[in-house]
Amino acid sequence: MNKKITQALFLLLAVLLISCADQDKNNAKGEQKDNLVLAIGGEPDNGFDPTTGWGQYGSPLFQSTLLKYDKDFKIQPNAAIDYKVSESGLKWTITLRDSIQFSDGKPLTAKDVVFTFNTAKNSASVVDLTNLEKVDEIDNHTVEFTLKQRNSTFIFYLVSLGIVPKHAYNEAYKENPVGSGPYKMVQWDKGQQLILEANPYYFGKQPYFKNLTFLFLSQDAAFAAAKSGQVDVASVSPTLADQKVEGMKLVNLKSADNRGVVLPFVPNEGKTVNGHPIGNNVTSDIAIRKAINIGIDREALVNGVLKGYGTPAYTIADHLPWWNPETEIKNDGDIEKAKEILENAGWKVKEDGIREKKGTKAEFTLYYPANDQIRKSLSIAFADMMKPLGLKIGTKGKNWNAIEKEMHSSATLFGLGSHDPIELYNAFSSKVRGRGLHNVNYYANDSVDAYFEKALQAPSQEQANLYWKKAQWDGKTGFSNIGDAPWVWLVNLDHLFLMRENLIIGPQKVQPHEHNWPVTDFIEYWHWKN
Amino acid sequence: MTELISKYLPLKRSKKRNRRKRALTFSVLGVILLLILVGSGFLIDTQGLVVNFDEANSAPSWSHPFGTDWLGRDMFVRTVKGLSLSFWVGLLAAFISGVIALILSLLLLVNKTLDSLVTGLIDLFLGVPHIVALILISFMLGGGLYGVIIAVALTHWPRLARLLRAEIMQIKNSEYISVSRHMGKSWFWIAQHHILPHLMPQLFIGFILMFPHAILHEASITFLGFGLSSEQPAIGIILSEAMGYLSSGMWWLAVFPGLMLLVMVAVFDSLGRNLRKVFDPFKGQKH
Repeated sequence: MNKKITQALFLLLAVLLISCADQDKNNAKGEQKDNLVLAIGGEPDNGFDPTTGWGQYGSPLFQSTLLKYDKDFKIQPNAAIDYKVSESGLKWTITLRDSIQFSDGKPLTAKDVVFTFNTAKNSASVVDLTNLEKVDEIDNHTVEFTLKQRNSTFIFYLVSLGIVPKHAYNEAYKENPVGSGPYKMVQWDKGQQLILEANPYYFGKQPYFKNLTFLFLSQDAAFAAAKSGQVDVASVSPTLADQKVEGMKLVNLKSADNRGVVLPFVPNEGKTVNGHPIGNNVTSDIAIRKAINIGIDREALVNGVLKGYGTPAYTIADHLPWWNPETEIKNDGDIEKAKEILENAGWKVKEDGIREKKGTKAEFTLYYPANDQIRKSLSIAFADMMKPLGLKIGTKGKNWNAIEKEMHSSATLFGLGSHDPIELYNAFSSKVRGRGLHNVNYYANDSVDAYFEKALQAPSQEQANLYWKKAQWDGKTGFSNIGDAPWVWLVNLDHLFLMRENLIIGPQKVQPHEHNWPVTDFIEYWHWKN
Repeated sequence: MTELISKYLPLKRSKKRNRRKRALTFSVLGVILLLILVGSGFLIDTQGLVVNFDEANSAPSWSHPFGTDWLGRDMFVRTVKGLSLSFWVGLLAAFISGVIALILSLLLLVNKTLDSLVTGLIDLFLGVPHIVALILISFMLGGGLYGVIIAVALTHWPRLARLLRAEIMQIKNSEYISVSRHMGKSWFWIAQHHILPHLMPQLFIGFILMFPHAILHEASITFLGFGLSSEQPAIGIILSEAMGYLSSGMWWLAVFPGLMLLVMVAVFDSLGRNLRKVFDPFKGQKH
């Protein structure tokens, strides 16, 4: 008897819940509301403090940066209206906009900028400001940065580091941010939701949407919420992208969020200070790396693994301003050509179908992070595609701790993609080889290093980009696939979002590595279609 | 075996309802089923495991009875491979577990202190939730095949050990044991000649019944990500991968492998139960 009552109650509850959901749906479809519910994931572990990394990819929302990129990566003024670099390239001077206010009504002055950069410099976080010698307040609206060495990529910090208020910065700041950005925080329920409202003191265009709610849901839950009409924007994986959802459209943002296989560049030659082996006798042969680059069918990977929601990747920075278009690969998937390269280099097929050269079998292991389904699929497909060439590649899924022990001596499936060209330097400069996740395959090329130096020394972005491009391919050598080919880049992932049919978000930048916050970059310009 | 059964036949009320005979038939059927499963794991053509984007995401059909996954790999081949891996993992783990249970329970004969230590250990292991102990041990050993086997082996012995201990306690107090003891035989000799033969049926059935537990637990910690590494063709891996594709309507990724796991576990369970009926004179005669 008791059981029956319980069952009846459950049924009632279920009916109630369903009717609630229905009501939401009706509301959402009705008149044009000025609030948005987004389920794009990406709740930051370290909170919303820019000095410890918040906003490094995409806009910081709560805070404003000194400068910003427009959608074509041109530098635009933001909290600062102007910047100047001295002849020596060591002194950068910025002039702040007049009368900017934080969301608590207090003014933003040079003191806050100085405080922000000093705090970020002293925080042991992803914000790496070691090259910053000092930062001085010249007057209330002028700040001067002094660098230790010339570095053209310093501008990325002016573009990405949100200014925090000196008067309101304390231990709890990351949970209760105050800034001069387009929105201010109302409430953050960790693990559940983040509620924002428009900042009335914002100096820029007042956003159309007065309230934003970010729900932190799993991919499946976000998709279900989108289906039942409870969210206006949801990020989806390629697997779910083909599902039609009534009232929603699929927004497909191109990205430089790339996936590639890093191949050890040096022969097996010892160990790191931590005792991890370095180098691989198979992949250190340039013929192997070239053959893989030509033999792999990137188009098939895009269509097969990503269901068409991606683009073939040629380098670390496709379609960014510092990308060299000469590195585009048009003839990949050419197995015959790849076999020819291997034959000419002395890799002969043995009875078991695997090539061999001077007693070394053409086999190695490819590691991937086990919890990433797309990287796993790419790895398996990659290994299978290499079989006809006579290369035997074993795939192993591990966690990052275990991968870090193997990545100097085995192939690893990586993902990168940043709006800061310093990433090129970090991945390919011989000066950072083996440092953390930088240059893990111990790549080294003197002329590439020389171009990197010139790019860092360059007085302007345009000139720096010229040298970044030359480092990829200067007609003779470079770190791209037509040069030394230390990596096999596979695909760039499209960032997919389900959005309300009548929501207009306008043109976007080429998206960086993260499939979440970068989409909110120009959120103050979002609006409903009239 | 049939001799054994026919001996009891006159006592039975009806030939058709002979529980032992029926149990024996079921057991043989179960063994055959399992043999087919494990054998096919060896013999099956691995061509179906090759990535084939043209046939990706296809629903069950004649050419792919269990459908294909997102890389176009045949789910039937993957499932059979996974089950045979599960079988070997279960076999090894259950065997080690059985040996541990036997050795620890025999310590009862050696001295009281050791025995109370064993009882304490049994209580300790039974007190900790099974899955927690499994995850802890597997994680400590760094996961992988060995991690899973050792973790499953180290957590499944207490029930059997307790059972065997009770059995030994009973035998130990019987007269022929004390006679043997008075004639100057060592405990080792007695264990070997008088006690072990008595324990064999219990041990064997305990081992068989441990099997489904071991397989299910292997699949579940693998599903949770603490077990076999993701390139292995294990059922737990298949099921956890399928989770991400269920919302897109690919039900066959989870349904068939899950069903097959269930069938295998059920076959083992019924095998164990039926064998118990065959071996145990009390249960064999009950209606």
